[in-house]
Amino acid sequence: MLENYLPILFFMIIGIAIGAVMSIIGFLLGTRRPNPEKDSPYECGFEAFEDARMKFDVRYYLVAILFIIFDLEIAFLFPWAVIIKSAGLFEFIAMMIFLSILVIGFIYEWKKGALEWE
Amino acid sequence: MTTTLIFYFFAATLIFAAFRVITVRNPVHAALFLVLTFFSSAAIWLLLQAEFLAIALVLVYVGAVMVLFLFVVMMLDINFAPLREGFAKHLPVGLTVGFLILIEMVMVVTHWKGLANPSTVVTTEMSNTKMLGQVLYTVYAYPFEIAAAILLVAMIAAIALTSRLHNRAKYQKPEQQVVVRREDRIRLISMPAEPKD
Repeated sequence: MLENYLPILFFMIIGIAIGAVMSIIGFLLGTRRPNPEKDSPYECGFEAFEDARMKFDVRYYLVAILFIIFDLEIAFLFPWAVIIKSAGLFEFIAMMIFLSILVIGFIYEWKKGALEWE
Repeated sequence: MTTTLIFYFFAATLIFAAFRVITVRNPVHAALFLVLTFFSSAAIWLLLQAEFLAIALVLVYVGAVMVLFLFVVMMLDINFAPLREGFAKHLPVGLTVGFLILIEMVMVVTHWKGLANPSTVVTTEMSNTKMLGQVLYTVYAYPFEIAAAILLVAMIAAIALTSRLHNRAKYQKPEQQVVVRREDRIRLISMPAEPKD
């Protein structure tokens, strides 16, 4: 089985090698004459207005967390989809209970307006 | 032989990356090293022929959880300097917790049948995903439903924590839009004609 992943290993090695070679060549051959003006952060040619870190609406995190939860749900669905053709009623009912529990959460989320945007 | 070499490469990468997660000063770099840690452990799982778990680790942790981590670390206005203070003060607690986790892991690893011999990799023609599926929904059906309940609790908790602010969302109500009549929108006023200048 592991032989099937050999191309991926080669792909990783070549990817790392190309990335490293490019960085090293740039480091060795590039001219570097830094001065404080060059090193200072800028924003489209003018001085930066503010720091990149600031207060964010908590809804961005809510969307990300809900995405992670449904992502995990999908991860549970994959083995089920593989075996369902040969499986019996028990596996089917087990997954239906699993999904119905999460659908309760989905209905709550919908009714609460957690996915609504202003 | 080659597999062993690849294993040692990924294991060394994993230990190095995990060490850098806690020693590097920049939290963004720490999060990126955590990504490397997850990725190396996914590669090791792949070497153990746990294909599904390896791909799930990359998809769920690297793809979703670490993106959220990076989002928080890069965007939120937390001053990270005060968080690093008090290393000596928190050291006893940290050491105690770390020691307890170490003892637990040693107990699990030494008492688990099948792990004592590292060469007992399951080598069957059946794919790992299929084998997982055959036990997950039958033998482990009860823990499987508990996982659903935990996900439900997490979902409701996340919504309850964030929706304390009243909802200011503006909706479209199509059923009200279609019943609108001309008189609701337009008012005709009769005015005396103004003289032309």
